Amino acid sequence: MALVIVDAPSRVTSSPSGTDARVVGDQPVAARSRGRVVTGHVLLALLAVVSVFPVYWMFATAFRRPDDALSASLIPWPPTLENFKYVWETIPMASMLTNTFAMAAVMAVSQLLVAVLAAYAFARWNFFGKQLLFLLFVGSWLVPFQVTMIPNYLLISQMGLLNTVAGVVIPNLCGAFGVLLLRQHMEAFPHELLDASVMDGQSSWATLWKVVLPNMKPALAALGIMLFISAWNEYLWPSLVLRQSDALVQIGIRSFMGAEGNNWGAVMAASGLACLPIFLIYLFLQRYVVDAFVRSGLK
Amino acid sequence: MFVEVPTSVGGQPGAEITDTRSRGPKWSVLRSHLTPLLYLLPAVALLVVWVYKPLAETVGLSFYKWNMIPTTPKIPVGLENYATVLSLPELHQALWNTVLYIAAFMVFSLVLPVGIALLCGQVTGRWRTFYQALIFVPFLVTPVASSAIWRWMFNPEGGTIPRIAASLGFEMGNIFRDPKLALLGVVVVVGWQMLGFGVLVISAGMAGINPDYSSAASLDGASRSMITRRITLPLLSPTLVFLALMTILLGAQWAYPVIDVLTQGGPSGSTTNIYYLLYEFGFRNFDAGLAAAAGMLFFLGFAIIALVFVRVSDRLSFYDN
Repeated sequence: MALVIVDAPSRVTSSPSGTDARVVGDQPVAARSRGRVVTGHVLLALLAVVSVFPVYWMFATAFRRPDDALSASLIPWPPTLENFKYVWETIPMASMLTNTFAMAAVMAVSQLLVAVLAAYAFARWNFFGKQLLFLLFVGSWLVPFQVTMIPNYLLISQMGLLNTVAGVVIPNLCGAFGVLLLRQHMEAFPHELLDASVMDGQSSWATLWKVVLPNMKPALAALGIMLFISAWNEYLWPSLVLRQSDALVQIGIRSFMGAEGNNWGAVMAASGLACLPIFLIYLFLQRYVVDAFVRSGLK
Repeated sequence: MFVEVPTSVGGQPGAEITDTRSRGPKWSVLRSHLTPLLYLLPAVALLVVWVYKPLAETVGLSFYKWNMIPTTPKIPVGLENYATVLSLPELHQALWNTVLYIAAFMVFSLVLPVGIALLCGQVTGRWRTFYQALIFVPFLVTPVASSAIWRWMFNPEGGTIPRIAASLGFEMGNIFRDPKLALLGVVVVVGWQMLGFGVLVISAGMAGINPDYSSAASLDGASRSMITRRITLPLLSPTLVFLALMTILLGAQWAYPVIDVLTQGGPSGSTTNIYYLLYEFGFRNFDAGLAAAAGMLFFLGFAIIALVFVRVSDRLSFYDN
């Protein structure tokens, strides 16, 4: 298992993704025929349209006037914010978005921090039980969440955290995935630098913060963004914990869909709002996002 | 009492980088053992509390009959839950559907992405990045939202797809209510989301292949398809194995939110999968014992598949060393 996880990233790091000049496992540029290039463009453009059209259609429907919801025109004209206004007034969209943002941020930061500490221990020391502890992490990645959900649900309910965002967050403060990914990065960290810092009389704690982490910023950023995105999109556990509450946006939209049924403009506006933060992250931090998902392969 | 640690372990590799400024050799040995464990403590504690303890509790629950209400007693029933689960027709249907889902997702996460990534090799850098970025967009859509979008796209009244179908002369009903088509509908939604991810991972894998091999082969007169079959795909095999294992292990999870929002497993169980079944046992029928027994069976099943897969793939994978 570990091998498989370890493998995809190491192949990637050997050559940075998006190197433009590189020929992807094919003939050199000069050997390409014109016809192939045209076919390539046509097919890829078609695929891109198929991929993006549903997302475009969501926003197009959301910007139509409510009376025009069934209109088939490609461009919503005249565009209006009425649907968004309606959603904003009907459900507590602002607080749902804030809560979801806070939840995803806390989960991402906590998983990152816990993973940094654990990965550091694995990469820096040999200690008794290292193999066993490592298996503990790999193994937990193999345990499907659905298998542990009933005992977790009972524990959260005993703690009195049902229907709270805290109940969603607490079981997800640590994720094995981050540990496995960071461990790999840290193993690649030059041991000479660690030794030098020991000779300087630095404690292991200071070394971690002053020497190791500053040199791993891209990896940490990528992992952090990825953890944030997957926390934002989390569905099953929130839907169990928040059965009587709409505190998070995924759950809120599900019940909004139930209540508003065929009010498609409004449903699309709510869905669009739920995706917006992730789209913005993608727009501005595209390189990190792509990097993170290429290196990982989770969810 | 802790100072009694034998000093003979002082030669451990960990000891060499521990600073020995303070309090004598015994303390330093102890420290060298404790330090890594302290760094691991938060992660391990959280894993034990939220993964391993519940896993053990699930094993325990699988031998009881219990409706999840704290005041009602748990009745020990031995292996009855396992026997019940194995004989349930719902489980057989869910298992079969899971197999169908995974086979279909393989197309979207593996087969099509390989084709698309090869296609991407035909266009030059900037355009390739642009197409890949657009194909990746669906992956970022929150599952609930993508379910909503596709329900709208497939909606018999005014949805885009039935409209296009009608203009081509087909009459389309609500596919999510049709026992024959509903599973296909779920596959379309999840597949649409997964495609860009597969393309991204495979393109990255291909970018990692040394172009010298194919240049050399083409100088020797190898055709394009020959290069693809003999060089690109074998060198890509670790990436392909990784994606295949991902699809098998996580396919049922990817489908869960879409099933929950769009069909609730219906009509008449045609779209349910094993994880949705687990949810129903536990949180709709409140049969904790049955859910636990089914969960254990699935866990063991997937663990065996994963182990076999890793073994086999070690033999099949071809590395460029």
